[in-house]
Parts: sequence; C-alpha cells; structure tokens
Amino acid sequence: MSSARKIRSAAVAVLLTTIGAGTLAVAQQPARTAPTAADWAALAKLPDFTGVWEIGFGGPAGRGAGGGRGARAGGPPAGPQLTPAYAEKRRARLANPPEDSPAANCLPSGMPGIMGQPYPMEFLLTPGLVTIVIEAYSQVRHIYTDGRPLPADPDPKFHGTSVGRWDADTLVAETVGFSPQTDLGQATPHSDKMKILERFKLADPDTMTIETTITDPEALTAPFTSTRTLKRHRTWTIAEYICEENNRNFVDQNGKAGINIKKD
Amino acid sequence: MQISSLRLTLASVLVVAGLAAARVDLSAHHSFAVFDMGSEKTVTGTVSKFEWTNPHTFIFVDATNDKGVMETWAIEGMSPNYLGRRGWSKTSVKPGDRITVTVRPLKDGKAGGMFVRALLDGKTMLQTGQPTE
Repeated sequence: MSSARKIRSAAVAVLLTTIGAGTLAVAQQPARTAPTAADWAALAKLPDFTGVWEIGFGGPAGRGAGGGRGARAGGPPAGPQLTPAYAEKRRARLANPPEDSPAANCLPSGMPGIMGQPYPMEFLLTPGLVTIVIEAYSQVRHIYTDGRPLPADPDPKFHGTSVGRWDADTLVAETVGFSPQTDLGQATPHSDKMKILERFKLADPDTMTIETTITDPEALTAPFTSTRTLKRHRTWTIAEYICEENNRNFVDQNGKAGINIKKD
Repeated sequence: MQISSLRLTLASVLVVAGLAAARVDLSAHHSFAVFDMGSEKTVTGTVSKFEWTNPHTFIFVDATNDKGVMETWAIEGMSPNYLGRRGWSKTSVKPGDRITVTVRPLKDGKAGGMFVRALLDGKTMLQTGQPTE
C-alpha cells in the first residue's frame, strides 16, 4: 500500500468511526427525484388552485379563533374549547394583557393566523409540492404532496411542517410542530401536540374554501373547525411586503403599544 | 374619483359596513390600542408628505390648531398593497394638496390618528374602500 493510499485509508477509518459515534447524525430528508413529463402532465388533472386568492370580507364566520361552526345562537359556544389547564393559561395571559401582539414589531403570526390576513396568497402546484406564497410579511408555506410522512419529532416552527394528499378534488394538508410563539388568536395558547388539518377545495372556479380543524389533546377538549372563503383575483399579483420598510408601530417589553409620528 | 353626494353617502355606508366586518382582519398588523376608536376628529390643512410604504401609509398634514399654532399631523392608513387594490396609488395624495381628513385620534392627544376618510381639494373623496376587482 502506498503511503498516500495508507493516509487515505486512515482518513476513511477516522471518518467512519466519527459517523459511527453518531451523536450528530443528520436526520434524513426524503430525497426529491427529478419530475418526469408525466409528473408535470398529472398536475393538469388537479383542480386549478393556481393564482392569487384573498379572503372575502363579510364572508362566513371562521376568521381567527373568534368564529367557526356553532357560532350561531343556540349552537355550542364559538371559539376553541380549552381544557382547564389551558383555560387557566389563557386567563393568566388576559389578566395582564399586552396592548398589542409582537406582529406590531413585524413578527409574523405563524399558523394558523397567517392564513387569515387581509392580504392575498398565491398557490403554486409543482410535482410533489404545493407552495403557498403569503403576501402578508412575505411568508411561504410548503405542503409536500410526494408521499413523505409527517416528521415524528418535528422542530417547532411558525408554520409547522406540512404534508398533503389529494382526496379527489380536495387537498388535505396535515401540519405538526408549531412554535410556542404562535397562538390560536385572542391570547389562546396551544401545546406542542397541536395538529392542524386543512381541506382546500374549489366551491366554484373562482371560490376556494379552506376548512381548518385544530386538534390539541392538551389544550382543547374537542377539535375546533372553522372555514374561510377565498376569492380568486385573476388580475392581481402578489406584491412586496417588507414590514420593516417603514414600521412606525411597536409594542415594548412591558406590552405597551406605541406609534412613531415623527416626520422623517 | 369624483362622486356625487348620494354615491358618497352610499360609499360611506359600504365602507363602514366593510370595516365592521373586517375589523379583526384589519387589525392584523397591530391593535388599535393607541387610537381612540370611539371618537373622530377632522383636520384641515396641507399635505407635506405621503409615505406609500409598508406596513402602513402615512399622510403628513400641516394644520393650524385652535391656538393658531401650526402642527404636523401623522395619519396612518392601510398599506400600499391593500389600498393599491382599492383604487389608490402613490400619487393619490401629493405634497401641497389641501386636505380635510377624518381620523380616529391618538389617545395621548398628540397630532396623529388613524385614517377614516378624506376630502382632497374640496372635491375628491378618499376612502379605504373595497377591492376594485
């Protein structure tokens, strides 16, 4: 064996030993294969979600935590029903509520609030992936439709980690692993066990409904379902939204809201 | 965007109804904590600057207060993204324009508020409005 080859062998041995020690093993992400012509052609058989959509004002109930099924008189109370422990957490938050949320400082809301903004979103369908480009705060969601499973132990993220499948003409997306910095709106916390199931479908060619069901065995006594209706705007494009461009609003460490009215 | 007083009234009703329905959504970026949402104040003066920027537009209006002192009012409106889809542009308001603007005033009494509606040069009504498509 030449000395160069010996060094190479030793290096490989060291490398293998290091990998064998394995304390920093990198989690395997599913590998994406190159889409075939058939993969692209298959997209044409899916419902046309492409383009720019926005929640219609004055539409059905179900924005944020305040609406949802059962909000009618005589029905069950509106809003997520909390377990005693999480109702207590919410009471504690509301006992000394900040005047504003961190969004005033340009922190995006994450899921599920980011899907209820007064700004449009664009759906992109590519093989194995649905991408939602959200204008508000320039956010993006990725819903993998390539058959991969949900991660068993996801890192907490503002938008969680999403996988989806097509159930006839409905995109069914499941999302897990949410940052504790997100909430259900109106000071309602969730646990790290929260799951969000979304069913996206076209009610007519320019109307999409998103039925969102939140389950959380620690925080909620029952699944909470709400439905949003979006209209397609065929002449719109997604615009730039840089929240830090000229943000004169703020909330400070003590929860006090303020505004900078100085003309620059 | 000149409109008759009848259409103006109807438009106002629509906008008020729209805002009531959209209240939760319009508060998406920040709460109304700094504004007195229960009152309105009307300021008449001259536009000195229009910031057509995210996350909010700002109209700066130089106006003489009731003590005869010139103040600069900072008036926050919806974003250019939102307003741009509802008939506004970066030149909807220009420095030098005479403006009468109705606001939800700042609670602290300083010269600022949240945009409700405005009349430009005595004839053009500006409102937050509904989508144009």
